[in-house]
Amino acid sequence: MFQFIFNKMNFWRKFNKKNQNNKQNFKEDNSLQKKLSQPNLSQNLKENLKVLRNLLGQSNDIVFREFSFGYEGKINAALIFLDGMTDNATINESIIRPLMYDSYFLNTKNLEVINNIEFIEKRMLSVRSVKKVSNIEQVVDGCMSGETVLFIDGLNEALAISTQGWESRGVTEPKTEAVVRGPREGFTETLRTNTSQLRRKIRNHNLLMETIQLGQKTNTDVCIAYLNGIANPRLVEEVRRRLKRINTDSILESGYIEQFIEDGPFSPFSTIANSEKPDVVAAKILEGRVAILVDGTPMVLTVPMVFIESFQTSEDYYSRPYYVSVIRIIRFMAFFITILAPAAYVAVTTFHQEMIPTSLLITMAAAREGTPFPAVVEALLMGLVYEILREAGIRLPRPVGSAISIVGALVIGEAAVSAGLIGAPMVIVIAITAIASFVVPAQSDLAALLRILLTIFAGVLGAFGIIIVLLGTLVHLSALRSFGTPFLSPLAPLSFGDLKDVFIRAPIWAMLNRPRTIGWHDPQRQEFRLMPQPPENSERVKN
Amino acid sequence: MKLEGGKISSSQLTFLIIGFTIGSSVILSPGQAAGHDAWLAVLAGLGEGLFFAVIYTSLAARFPGKTLVQFNDLIYGPYLGKVISIGYLWFFFHLGSLVLRNFGDFFTSIIYPETPMVVFILLTALICASATRNGIEVIARCSIILLSLMLVTDLVLIILLLKDMEFTNLLPIFDLPLKEFIRASHSAATFPFGETVAFLMVIAFLNNVKQAKISTAAALTIAGMFLVTASVRNTAVLGIVATTATYPSFMAVRIIDIAHILTRLEVIVAIDLLAMGFLKISVLYYGTVLGMAQLLKLRSYLPLVLPVGALMVLLSILQFDSVTENIAFAFDIWPYYAIPFQIGIPLLSLIVAVLRGLPKKEGGSK
Repeated sequence: MFQFIFNKMNFWRKFNKKNQNNKQNFKEDNSLQKKLSQPNLSQNLKENLKVLRNLLGQSNDIVFREFSFGYEGKINAALIFLDGMTDNATINESIIRPLMYDSYFLNTKNLEVINNIEFIEKRMLSVRSVKKVSNIEQVVDGCMSGETVLFIDGLNEALAISTQGWESRGVTEPKTEAVVRGPREGFTETLRTNTSQLRRKIRNHNLLMETIQLGQKTNTDVCIAYLNGIANPRLVEEVRRRLKRINTDSILESGYIEQFIEDGPFSPFSTIANSEKPDVVAAKILEGRVAILVDGTPMVLTVPMVFIESFQTSEDYYSRPYYVSVIRIIRFMAFFITILAPAAYVAVTTFHQEMIPTSLLITMAAAREGTPFPAVVEALLMGLVYEILREAGIRLPRPVGSAISIVGALVIGEAAVSAGLIGAPMVIVIAITAIASFVVPAQSDLAALLRILLTIFAGVLGAFGIIIVLLGTLVHLSALRSFGTPFLSPLAPLSFGDLKDVFIRAPIWAMLNRPRTIGWHDPQRQEFRLMPQPPENSERVKN
Repeated sequence: MKLEGGKISSSQLTFLIIGFTIGSSVILSPGQAAGHDAWLAVLAGLGEGLFFAVIYTSLAARFPGKTLVQFNDLIYGPYLGKVISIGYLWFFFHLGSLVLRNFGDFFTSIIYPETPMVVFILLTALICASATRNGIEVIARCSIILLSLMLVTDLVLIILLLKDMEFTNLLPIFDLPLKEFIRASHSAATFPFGETVAFLMVIAFLNNVKQAKISTAAALTIAGMFLVTASVRNTAVLGIVATTATYPSFMAVRIIDIAHILTRLEVIVAIDLLAMGFLKISVLYYGTVLGMAQLLKLRSYLPLVLPVGALMVLLSILQFDSVTENIAFAFDIWPYYAIPFQIGIPLLSLIVAVLRGLPKKEGGSK
């Protein structure tokens, strides 16, 4: 239904078309190559530096370090690097020191040899990675990503030496996705740290990481990680295709990418999962999914996503299965409580009073006596207040927190009831709703939307309204796909084998296969008979 | 020209047919005319319905990947075939509007006496329209979830009603003349079992045509068992009231009273009705618009969805003046009205197809 309405909104299509016309300007803007009269490096050091000073000179974090080295300092050279993005120790000890100090001891005969770029690259620079560059664009790109570029007079090539090193947040425990059991480390803002964390979980040469740069202005590194041979090649190709289509100025967070590549842009449901924990992402990669890591954010995207993924946590697999299965079912219940509780309360008190046991009905009627608003208005008002409190709770400075909670608890809860503005049962219902919404954090914003819609329909049409909205949602969910995988799988379309991990969580030794719906490559995860089998007579083992 | 790109699996077809067959029978109980022997009438009707299903699936198996509208042209030639197809499209369309009307009647007469009927019919039709637009795959996916919901709630209701059941209400068995019994069982066969003729529009999209026969038969049997249990439950709980009540299931569930806490759970019946009726209307709606698009050789059936839905809503509101007329039509006129569509034409088509040796091989056809 949603899709139908939005399809009719031609506005967006026109918007898209307009963008396509602008595409040409968009590309030109970025291309340094065309701007420069002479894109390649010249042999003259002074000239090269002049061009670069024109390009980069105004910013004061760029350091031009000119020096000379070799026998009696005959060779002029210059280093260009970004202060703050480079590691000072490396530049001092491994680039400047060997060039200026060690080459001093070489004799005249070696002068020509030294002037050979091969020689410098191979024998003098004790840095892990050095590459030759020959045009201005490469030099600028290298500089911007934290490389140090070494120019030598008389050569029309330069050396880009990797000296990346900047201040970054250490690996800490993420604020979201807290666990009692399991690894505590979380991703950081640095792409390299994140990929290394993944590598440490999956030490396998088949774990491939492809990096592309997105964002014309930001040049953000975006990395696709997947297990070769397990991830469906068509899925990987599709991810690549959708990422390459992105032609925008900036990628600041993985949320940008999510909105560019998701399947249902008009759907309130998110069809791309995100996680902050390496173990979660590693587990998803092992199931055949593809992870998308973005430099500058700890949030890693995984595709395809299915709806029930929101109800699974990493801890489910680390704990023993029995209690976890109960918790799974509780999560489903909590999700339905959080979207349905106010609506059901409104429907029952407004239309279906006969469903309430008589004694409770009398209590509730007494509690609601004298309250000015109908149930649906009460529910919407309290829901609004709760959403405001929640939003304020996220944004407020920490020291004010206690003030807000006192105001929230006392004024909203206690005073509103005793002043006779809101019925006491409604406060209870909203409180339960609020608590239940945190059980499934991945869907909590969606639940808020659905809750409002359901409450309005329940106030107008009672149970019929609720069911109509739920049916509409079901149709929408059934039609939704995430990178080719039906969003409601494995429930609809039903695949019996995958039900092992939906309402119950089967023991690890019983999870023989990867999810059928994510891609059916190399399905078997483990040997068949792995169920623990202690020896029949345990006494015998002791002897 | 490909109107529907989706494919459904045989298990999805099974679920879909079960949901379709249960449909509005959640509230209307087929075979009610047989009194306390209604469950026997349903069983006999199931037998007749299975016979129908064999005809339908044999037809579908003869023309794999072709819908009713398409193979009518092959069997009867382009002109007569189109006339018959139009007849069928009317049948699906009318049946859809009847089910919609059941919704409207049920909700206005039982739960929301003050709300105009058009509200319920219109909202239901809108949801069905969105499902139809999304195609048969989506309807089939919905069916699994809705059906499991329905079966679970139904089981709960039966368990809660166990203490109110009086199985002596079912005695004496076969306490009516054979003629009456056959009339009742035929009524049960045409509504709901024979209505599966609508699946001749759907079986074409089955990914494994060979399984159609088994799926359909299994689905009808399961749905039949469900209706038999419902019938037994209603008679056992209500006794003689079950034969006269308009909505016996609804009346029976109303009686539930567990420790004065779980009382008056009839809303659950309404929910089940919506879930199953949604499937039934969606399949019929889909069959109508798809058939129409195939008949008119359109590239897509999407432009037809809303107009057909609007007409369906109008027809369902205008065709009866009251609930009684609707029920009388369903139980007295429907069994005869449905005969040509449900058994006459399909049987004739099958015979003609066999005699003409259709479908001809590629080289043999003109």
